[in-house]
Order: sequence, then structure tokens, then C-alpha cells
Amino acid sequence: MRVFTRTAAAWAIAAGSFLPVAGASGQATYNLAATADFTGPYADVMKDLIGSQRPAIEWWNGEVGQKLGIKLAVKQYDHRYDAAQAASLWPGIKAELNPIIMLGAGGPDVAALQGRLPGDKIPMIMSTAGYGFAWKPDPWIFNPRPTYSHEAAAFFNWFRARRGGSGPLKVAIISSEASPAYIDQQRGIEKYAKDNPDKVEIVESVFTEVQPTDLTTQINRVVRKGAEVISIQTNTAAVVATKRALQALGKNVPILMSSHNGVLDSGRAVGDVKQMEGDFEAYAMAVPTDEKTPARAFFDMLATKHGMKSQWTVTAVQGMGQVLVALRAIEATAKRVGADKITGEAIRETMLSTPIASDQIFGTLPDLKFTKEAPFPVTGLTAGIGTIKDGKYVAAAKDAAVPVLSKW
Amino acid sequence: MIDFLNYLINGALVGLLYALVAMGFIVIYRASKVFNFAQGELVVFGGFIVWWMVLAMGMPLAVGLPLAFVAAAVFGLLIERIFFSRLVGESVFAMVMVTIGLLILIRGLVLVLFGAQVRPFPIIFPLKPVIFGDILIPRSLLFGAILTIIVGLGLSWFFNRTRPGLRMTAVAEDHQVAMSLGISVKRSIAFAWILGALLSTLGAIIYLSGKSLSFLASDIGLAALPVALLAGFESIAGVLLAGLIVGIIQGLVTAYVDPAVGGAVGTVFPFVIMLFILFVRPTGMFGWKTIERV
Repeated sequence: MRVFTRTAAAWAIAAGSFLPVAGASGQATYNLAATADFTGPYADVMKDLIGSQRPAIEWWNGEVGQKLGIKLAVKQYDHRYDAAQAASLWPGIKAELNPIIMLGAGGPDVAALQGRLPGDKIPMIMSTAGYGFAWKPDPWIFNPRPTYSHEAAAFFNWFRARRGGSGPLKVAIISSEASPAYIDQQRGIEKYAKDNPDKVEIVESVFTEVQPTDLTTQINRVVRKGAEVISIQTNTAAVVATKRALQALGKNVPILMSSHNGVLDSGRAVGDVKQMEGDFEAYAMAVPTDEKTPARAFFDMLATKHGMKSQWTVTAVQGMGQVLVALRAIEATAKRVGADKITGEAIRETMLSTPIASDQIFGTLPDLKFTKEAPFPVTGLTAGIGTIKDGKYVAAAKDAAVPVLSKW
Repeated sequence: MIDFLNYLINGALVGLLYALVAMGFIVIYRASKVFNFAQGELVVFGGFIVWWMVLAMGMPLAVGLPLAFVAAAVFGLLIERIFFSRLVGESVFAMVMVTIGLLILIRGLVLVLFGAQVRPFPIIFPLKPVIFGDILIPRSLLFGAILTIIVGLGLSWFFNRTRPGLRMTAVAEDHQVAMSLGISVKRSIAFAWILGALLSTLGAIIYLSGKSLSFLASDIGLAALPVALLAGFESIAGVLLAGLIVGIIQGLVTAYVDPAVGGAVGTVFPFVIMLFILFVRPTGMFGWKTIERV
């Protein structure tokens, strides 16, 4: 009986700390839930990706929440980048936190929860780019970035303009059948090339394993076909195998990467960042160079005043942008409906009706205007392009226009 | 035609790499009748040991590689001592379940010991391919294929022509009978696990030379499975032929069918072969046919 009483008391205290209640100070407390991958394929970047969540919320509570009469708390759950695990965690997350918003770590969250969130009336904010297969109206999931194919198309147009000439840019794609997301990236680019034959020509799409054995033969073929850029939005292993194949053949064709397999991550995996000289990464976010930008100033502030341990990387920018979008959405909702009436549904309505200016989120992302048309802003976005120049990581472009793509 | 030859040769060499990994399945199976679900994880662990010795500790290849093989052998022995020596005489099912646990354990162990970062793997074989006219042959795969054939023929001789090899075969037949004949079951199983760990480390060296190292590399265990099944789980020489068949078919399908249909066939096709083999000839091409008298 005594054990039961103690256990019940412990549960009551634990539950009480997460319930959305008005405290003695009159502040309404709300919970955010977040998923993470500490033991799966993205464990290496997870500290940077979610490292800003608690510090940013602590900053917001002090700077904004106090004036609004709101206190936010967050709890992270490890889903090991597994959709089944994400699905099985969800009922417990709802029961424990009753969250007003969810911060998703990646594709498994979308796969597991896209059917449940409308019923549960909880919106989810992502940090990744969007996917063609999730491009559906009336979203409950919001990607601050367009699809990976949008981001690649922004790079192709920028690179073609820099190259000059009138012909289309010849692109080879290295993809993999291992994930629907990889196939989606490739199909989106192919659709853009089909709709814009004057701008982009796909010389070949090569399919490999996620850890390719050897790509010398395949890369030799696409180089012979005149590829001017090799697009790899899958993972660092594919970038390393392609780089080795190019080195073996004595060829120098720029590789385009994304945020999760960018020039620094791939450079570390290949053994030396300098080997990525002249390669590029593109995403609709700020490029985390050493330049003094508002995003960098905010990052430094979180590190010095709120104990953030993240490194200044692309994934850190990604995570900061995600949590800042969520915080600004909550803030706008509080102003719209009142601090004590915030619900997931009200936040979603705010997301769809109130644009978020880039300044509000310290330039981590461009201006964002969500509509009912898609889970991501379909117009007005820009992309950052990072590269290695003279052995240093620099921004090759900060605002390359993201073109309008038709669905695929 | 040149492209066809390139893909044919590349497929054959990749197939022989699969065969090397499949030998890991087979040596453990031949000594204990256990299908080792953690074979891909042994490749990853072997790879991390090589990375640690050569890049993290900065040892020259001539020192780091032999030490990595020694460490892999010790790891194989530890697996046997901690888990399988206690299961002698128990059901095969229990041992197979332990290999599933081992898979999870090795993943956790690598995270704890080496961290979650993607690591660069040392360049063991020169990057520059061997070139005959328009035909390119990746050097790592070429040397790997030669090593695989030598190891395959050597192991085949060992298991079929030497007393210790035949003893291991007796152990695979029945632990109790083997013990009644004076054969040390524990020693045989320990030797099989040491051999399995060594083959996995050799596989990692050929597979990952100059590339990156993460848990994605464990997928090769899955890719090698159709090869082992096509050969039959008892035939080491047969696995070389099976590797060539699977590798060539996969290479040609990936090169010519995948671009036409938008992917997905090349990876799946070896498993279609595997299912077909299981359907028409469950013992594989060279597996032992067991006659049970009732």
C-alpha cells in the first residue's frame, strides 16, 4: 500500500509538471513534444538538430512568454528514426503531455502521424524539406522548407546562370531505392527537367545501395554523357563513393548535396573537407558560415546565456529554424485568441493565416507564408548555397530563387 | 557493348564480395547449424576496428590491419565464450534467437565505443581503376575478388579435406553425437565464430576501402543472404559461383532495368532469386540433401 501511495504520488508530480495549467503566477503552461533519433541513422547529427530546443524555449519564456503570461515546456522522445516506433510512442506522448504542437525529426514522423494529427488536432512542425508524396492540401504538418526537388532546382538555375550559355544544365542524379524519400527527390527533379527542357537535362539517374560498393563504372558513364553536375540528396555514403569514383577517373564534376549530407558532413566522411572543393549544398535556409549574421548572433546568445551545446552546423540552423517557427506560431496564436486559449487547432489556423517574416526567426529561414495548398510555402522562397572555396566553407549564394514546381 | 562488359565485370566482382560475406554465414552454419542474423553487424564491427586502428590510432596499414584481424578474432572468441558456449546441446532456435540479440548488442556497442558519427574508412587499395581500353575495373573489387577466390578455395579444402574441418562438420550434424565421438563442440564453435569475424573484417576492408563507415554498411549482410541461399548453406566453393550469378544479374538489372522503370528492381531482384531457389530447391545448388529415415 505504501509503495502504491508513493508511486501514485510520483506519477501525480510527474504528470503535474507537464499539464497545461495556469500556475500561481497566472501563467498558462503548455507543452511541446519533440521526436529525436539518438540511436538510429541520424544519431550523429541529433545533438545539433535538437540541441537548440530547450535553450530557445527558455529564451522565449523569458523574453516573450513572461509578457504574454505563457510558459512552455518541451519533452523529447527517441523514435530511432522508425515509423513504427513513432506510431507506438504517439498515444503515450498525448496522454503524458497533451501537447499543443509537435516538433518532428523526419520522415518517420510524417509516415506515422500524418493520418492521426488532424483527428488529434495537433499540428507538427518539421525541420526537413518537404516531399512530393506528402504534397497534399489542408496540412497539419508544416515544412518551413519546400521539397528537396525545389531546393535542387533552385541550385540548378543558379548554377546555370553562373555557367552562362543558353543550353540546359546537364545533370546526373545518384539515387537509391532504399527510401521513398530518395525516389521522391529524384522524381521531382526529373519532373522539373521535363517541364523545363531549356533549363535542365537529366543525363541519367543512377540507383545505388545506401552504402554503395563502387560507383566508378556508373560515374564514368554519366561523365561520358556530359554531366555538369551530379545531384546527390540521399546520404554522405553516396557522396563519398561518388567523390572516390571521380578521383579514380581523374574527373572534376561538382556534386550537389542537401542539408543532411552537406559539404562539411561529407567532407568529414571522406576524410578531409578540402576534398569537397568546388562542390555545393543547397537548402532553403541560412548557410552556417563564420559570417556575423542574425542567425549566428542568436546561436551565440543561446550558447552563452542558455547553455546550448550544439555546434554551428547546417543541422543546428535547421533545428533552430524549426523551434523558432513553432515559437512564433504560438506567440501569434496567443495574441490572436488569448494566452489561456491556445490549442493545436488555433495554432494551425495561425500558421495558415499569419506569415512569418525572416527577421522574426533571425534569418534562419526565408519569409514563410503557408497556405492550405501545401505543407510548405509554394512561392516566394529563397535558397542558401554553401560550398568549399580555397579550402574554406563559404556561402556561394544566400538568396537563390526557388522556382515554382508542378506536382509529380 | 562496352557498357555491357563494364557492368558484367563490375557485377561479377561485387558478387564475389557478397560471396566473401556469405562465407561468414556458411562457416558459422557449418559448425553450429546456426544462421547468424548479426553477420552484417560483424562486418560493421570489423570496419570500425580497422578505422580505429588505422585512422583514430594513426597506425600504419602494415601494423593496423594485422592488429585489426587479431582484435576481430578476439571479438569472435568472446561472442562464443559469453553466449554460445552456454548453449551447447540447446536447440538451434535458441542459438538463432541469440544472434538476433547479438545484432542489437553490436549496434549499441559500436555507438558506445566509437560514437554515432560517419567515419572515413582508410584507403587500403589504390583508387585508380585498372583500365583495358574502355573497360574499367575498380582495384579494390579486383583485389577483393582474388582474395575471395583464394579464401574460398582454402576454406573449402579445410572443411572437406582436413580433420579439424571434418570435426566441425560433425558438430553441425549433432552436438551430442559429436561429443560422444570425443569432439570438442565448444572449440569447434569458437573456431567458427573466430573465422566468421575474420571473414567479416576482410569483407569490410574490401567493401569500404576509401569510403565512409556507418551502420549502413551492415546492409551487405542482407545482400549476401541470397548468395548463401543460392549456394546452399553448406558449400563454401559453391558460394563463389552463386556470388557470380547473383552479382552479374543484379548489376545488369540495375544498369538496364532500373533506369527504365524508375528504380527498385536491382535491389529486389536477388531476393526474388532467393525466393525462387527456396521454392524449387530449398537446399540451394550445392547444399547437402538430408535423408531422414523414420
